[in-house]
Amino acid sequence: MTYLRRSTPLHAARSSAAIAWCAALVLAAFTTSNPLVVGTLAVVVVIAGAAARVGRRVARSLLLSLPMAVAIVVINALVAREGLTVVARLGNGGPFGQLDITAEALAFGAEFALVLIVVMEVAALASAAIDPDEVLRSMRRVSFRSALTATVATRMVPLLALDSRRIGEAQRCRPKPGGRLAIVRAVTTNALDRSLDVAATLEVRGYGSARRPRRVPRPFSRHDIAFACSAAVIAALSLGWPAPFSYYPTIVAGSAAHAIVLSGALALAALLPFAQRRGIER
Amino acid sequence: MGRTRTIRASVAAFVAALALAGCGLGAGTAPEHVALLVTRGFGAGTLIATEAPKIDGADTVIRMLERNAKVTTAFGGGFVQSVSKISGGGGSAWFYYVNGVQAGKGAASTRLHNGDRVWWDFHNWSATDSIPAVVGSFPEPFVDGYGGKHLPLRIECTQPSAKTCSAVEGVFSAMKMIASLGCLLCSPENQSLRVVVGPFDTLSSDPAAEQLTGPPARSGVYARFTDSGRRLELLDQGGHVVATAGAGAGLIAATRFRGQPPVWYITGTNAAGVAAAVQAFNAQTLDDHFAIAVVADAAIPLPDAER
Repeated sequence: MTYLRRSTPLHAARSSAAIAWCAALVLAAFTTSNPLVVGTLAVVVVIAGAAARVGRRVARSLLLSLPMAVAIVVINALVAREGLTVVARLGNGGPFGQLDITAEALAFGAEFALVLIVVMEVAALASAAIDPDEVLRSMRRVSFRSALTATVATRMVPLLALDSRRIGEAQRCRPKPGGRLAIVRAVTTNALDRSLDVAATLEVRGYGSARRPRRVPRPFSRHDIAFACSAAVIAALSLGWPAPFSYYPTIVAGSAAHAIVLSGALALAALLPFAQRRGIER
Repeated sequence: MGRTRTIRASVAAFVAALALAGCGLGAGTAPEHVALLVTRGFGAGTLIATEAPKIDGADTVIRMLERNAKVTTAFGGGFVQSVSKISGGGGSAWFYYVNGVQAGKGAASTRLHNGDRVWWDFHNWSATDSIPAVVGSFPEPFVDGYGGKHLPLRIECTQPSAKTCSAVEGVFSAMKMIASLGCLLCSPENQSLRVVVGPFDTLSSDPAAEQLTGPPARSGVYARFTDSGRRLELLDQGGHVVATAGAGAGLIAATRFRGQPPVWYITGTNAAGVAAAVQAFNAQTLDDHFAIAVVADAAIPLPDAER
């Protein structure tokens, strides 16, 4: 959940370009239903994470998304009545009717689970590689007070994580350590106290009467342009040339060549900006 | 060693229980002699009629329809939205009957059985959304039952000595079906498929027959007897009276009473009406109709078309 400062092209790009690039990947995952394309996107985000030197953070998102993905596949297989290829019959499920597991429901659930994995990977990558302060700075001109509130709130997250760690360590020193609930309670109480302090400080310093700041022009860097172009190409490919694939009533896949070419094009468009290493601070 | 045996026995018992509950891998065994009929307007227009529909394994009613027609579904595939581009809405929807009996559960929950005649009909439900039984799948449900259960056939005549009673018995005998004969509701345990034969004014003790004096929402039949059974009103799909027939009018209709098995009525406004109805009691006349009124020796499908 915390930003990691690294010297990589994604970190070097301005926040708006990086956000557009992340959003384009999510858009691509949602607009295509082809599992090959979505699977490629999942791998591409992991590679991008490694290229942005936050690969471990992106990989760690799988710990959260994989159990959810399994749950999606299982639930969809049990509740979806569409699909004609029965692979298992679980008998009469009472109010749920005949529990027939179809290959189509399994495949659709798996594809949807892959989309979830991509979204969570992208979220992990964005939180680790896009400077939140810069994002909020760019939002100041839109809504100063909201940007300030969001800045304070995001600054609180790592602080509360640190608090939680410290309290946890202190608790482990006791003969009978308490449960996690006790830590959550302590951290929440601290957060409320801190927020009151912050609000009082902001009030005293006159933030409430602040005006909308002036626009500060900043030239586009080669990384900004590379990631913005990459986002545009990804969005154009996914919206303008989707690989057809339908799941119900039977699985109908479009041209495999189309899916392979689209996957390759998306991967190339997404990863090419990382090849530009010039101008990155060491 | 003993523990291993216990585990093995438990696993074997679990697998056996699953098999008994109809569980298993793959599509399962396909039922035989299944027929599919898809119509609109209470059977007025046929879209699909096949005695050999495509089936793969232990299909459900909705899955068989999807294999044989272009279908769109809603609510996770449990509700038929459109068949052959005819879409529900505006007071019309798709309803289905298996062996002439409206199922009490969704098509995705209804498994096919040997000999099932599945009938999907797209019709207006402004008069009623529940038509518990129809006659258009004759000789079902008498041959193969419904819901996978065979029920005994019982012919109940209010005038056992009348020729109409033996004529109806003859129709079933010709199909090599054994029917028990009896008086009206003389069996306290009603677990049979009843075929009631007699003038309507002699059926007053039968609560299921009494439904035929009410609107379609009560009986599921688009006709009703009035004037103590001496007149028969024919209704359109909106439940409005289109025509009224007097002496000599007959009716062949099916209904249900409080979850009991379906009961068929071969009745009329008088003995001549019953005789006319018995004349029409054959598969050719009943095919694809919800119910039949016989007026002036002409069979009129119900609901009656607006005139």
